[in-house]
Amino acid sequence: MRSRSPALYLLALFPLAFLLVVMVAPAARLVAEGWTPAGGVDTGAGAHAGLFTVWQDPYLRWRMAWSFLQAAATCVAALAIGLPVAWVLARFEFAGRAWVLRFLMLPFVVPTLVAALGVLALLGPHGLLVQSGGADLQGTPWLLLYGNLFFNLCLVVRAGTDALGQVSASRLAAARTLGATPWRAFWRIEWPTVAPWMMSALCLVFLYCFAGFGLAMVLGGAGYATAEVEIYTLVAHELQLRQAAVLSLWMLLLTSLVALAYAAIERRLAAPGRSDGVARHRPGTVGQWAAVVGALLALVCFCAAPLMAIAWRAMFSGAFGWAFMAGVMTDEDTLLALWNTARFTALSLVLATALGLAHALAAQRSLALRALVFLPFVVSPVMVAFGLLLLYPRWSGSFWLLVCAYALLAYPFVAKAVASSLDSMPQNYLFAARTLGASPWRAFRRVTLPLLMPSLRRGMAFAAATAVGEFAVSLFLSRPEWVTVTTLIYRYLGRPGAANLDAALLLACVLLVFTMLVFAVIEWPGQKERHA
Amino acid sequence: MKAHQQHRFYSRLAALALAATSLAMGSAVSAADAPELRVLTHSSFAVPKPLLAQFEKDNSVKLRISKGGDAGEMLNKLILTRANPIADVVYGIDNALATKALAANVLDASAVVIAPGGISLPVPLVPVDYGYVTVNFDKDWFAKNAVALPKSIEELAQPAYAKLLVVQNPATSSPGNAFLLATIGAMGEEKAFDWWARMRSGGMKVAKGWSEAYYTDFSRNGGKYPLVVSYATSPAAELFYAKDKPSVPPTGSLTLAGGVYRQVEGVALVKGGGQRATAEKFIEFLRSPAVQQQMQTEMWMYPAVAGTARAEVMKFAPEPTAFDAPSDADVAAKGADWVARWTKVVLK
Repeated sequence: MRSRSPALYLLALFPLAFLLVVMVAPAARLVAEGWTPAGGVDTGAGAHAGLFTVWQDPYLRWRMAWSFLQAAATCVAALAIGLPVAWVLARFEFAGRAWVLRFLMLPFVVPTLVAALGVLALLGPHGLLVQSGGADLQGTPWLLLYGNLFFNLCLVVRAGTDALGQVSASRLAAARTLGATPWRAFWRIEWPTVAPWMMSALCLVFLYCFAGFGLAMVLGGAGYATAEVEIYTLVAHELQLRQAAVLSLWMLLLTSLVALAYAAIERRLAAPGRSDGVARHRPGTVGQWAAVVGALLALVCFCAAPLMAIAWRAMFSGAFGWAFMAGVMTDEDTLLALWNTARFTALSLVLATALGLAHALAAQRSLALRALVFLPFVVSPVMVAFGLLLLYPRWSGSFWLLVCAYALLAYPFVAKAVASSLDSMPQNYLFAARTLGASPWRAFRRVTLPLLMPSLRRGMAFAAATAVGEFAVSLFLSRPEWVTVTTLIYRYLGRPGAANLDAALLLACVLLVFTMLVFAVIEWPGQKERHA
Repeated sequence: MKAHQQHRFYSRLAALALAATSLAMGSAVSAADAPELRVLTHSSFAVPKPLLAQFEKDNSVKLRISKGGDAGEMLNKLILTRANPIADVVYGIDNALATKALAANVLDASAVVIAPGGISLPVPLVPVDYGYVTVNFDKDWFAKNAVALPKSIEELAQPAYAKLLVVQNPATSSPGNAFLLATIGAMGEEKAFDWWARMRSGGMKVAKGWSEAYYTDFSRNGGKYPLVVSYATSPAAELFYAKDKPSVPPTGSLTLAGGVYRQVEGVALVKGGGQRATAEKFIEFLRSPAVQQQMQTEMWMYPAVAGTARAEVMKFAPEPTAFDAPSDADVAAKGADWVARWTKVVLK
């Protein structure tokens, strides 16, 4: 029994106030600017856009439909590939498994343009596929789908692995003893446990792809721009705020439906988990080894290959030798960028963890609060970035505003992971602790928190990756003294010349190594616990 | 169950959280100590740090430089915040954007720093540098495929050059918009859009911005398009940043009639901004010999101040002798419509 303490809602005030100040108010301010009849900055053809003009324009209609289609296709593909991979990772123990789980999340931090370079090195006109006799996929939807999977597969695999680890071993054993085939046991025992987690992950994948920003453009060209790109163009370059507001309101409506549906499904499916998780074992038969190899191959193919292409180009075709590499690495700007990246990541991670924990604890029984976790993914980042500028001009380009923006995009990962974990948490431990006289604070610290730790770590790892990767970085004002590794990469890619390209690729590798270190720090105690 | 304890626990968590927020908010509003000059620039702004430090020292001021994205995006940020300006001085508004900036009334015309002769910009913008948006080509590709270089913009629309050119979307990119203006300036609106329509059916690629076009579509960098809209100085930069120090650049710039736009970038005081005297000093600073000299191989633009010595490598970036642009009045009246029409003709 968790009490309906009013303090629980007090706790909700923290993330709610944060959302209001950093996201809702700025976005609303921008929408209001678009609706100002006189004195507004709008001059273009969209100045009188009505609520339904979006649907009258076949071009915009296609943009919305395309956004939806590619997101849905990515979800289907991510589930089909991600679930079997997750199953293998959850059931078998093999050397390097923990590292595979960390490597998985690296695509998250790679700047879009660099990721595109990596993908094109494989599937582009001069890529590996063409060299081995295949087709050039540049400009086809396949390339975009591949790019989407590259970025999002990790979400499904990580969630699936964690969820499968919570399947009750005794129930599974009972089913098998009673004669269920492994297939049937999967559908009747494992899938029901995993389903809410998968729904949650797929929901995120959908939102990321639907509101996807850079990748579609870079890989697909203007023809594959999503509605979010349309919003960006309208706001940042054409200042047609009204039309942008209309479009983003429709996007908000559509994505909110997804988020709400998800929250409802998750809550209905959520059942207190059992404490007898299935233990991993070393693969014994040839078939099991084949499954492990197959899963790893799938991961290499979809997640690692573009990264390896980037590393390959940076290390070998660079041909500048060590002097060049040392030159880039010891450059004043590189060191400053590393320091800034570390500092921004740490601060936004602290803020995101606090926000995420508060939100998840407060949202345990409120459907609305649960759906609100998705708000930062649902509201257009372009609207938020320009709204912040409009609402708080004095703080534009201020250090804390930037940290808040990073935390805003990172904290839903923590909140979601913790919320799922709270749903499936066995209640008897907590009851036992409280009956034995532990104060709620003590019970939280000694029982709830340790049980939450694995998901909290997973959420924090994703949050850190989001902060390092700086999804919406280009939208905010950037100050040279706050240069981060990502902004430095974009600076190099803003100039012609091989040395610039190589420096950018080298820095992308630095970013990957840095991220691995961050993951190792976040998950370090986790390993000790497992061995204890 | 001890409900009051539970209550206390959540209260404590909430209090902690609120304390953290107020702490974060508190430090956000902490006042600046030294007088600050707020400079807004586009993301390509690059002046060597020692020069900036010298300026700070000479004027006992702290420079607060904010980069606002592409020049068009930066100007929009300035327009959006005109009630509470986010900068005292703005650098990076070019002749293509000048009329929009003037119409939006975001520049301070009261204290005009007059630039003597030569390259000019509509007052109160003071020219700092200039460059040419041109079509660049991949020398290797044209040699290997034995294709002759196009001689006119009209030839580009012919089947021989189908699927060879990548341009930037004028709605999201300054060079893209500049190239569009060049075609309209040379051919007139109707003929220009007819040309763009033929380019579309010929399989021209549209990229979001310069970086995307140059690094993912240009054949020299792993794409498949040997022609890219870039700058006249890009070949010189290619040589400057090349690995094996070749004697000639691996790329070249074409001076096609109707395919060259001269871009003049300027600096101006922001209306409603502070630090007037220092801001004017900053404008002088950008036109000082040291900056004009060193900026060439940082931003890859030509110096606007006449008589500035050219960097050695700039000899590989000959200036086109002819260029086209519509009149300022036309740009002011129709600029936005042209972009909308381009989107309709090329993308929809």
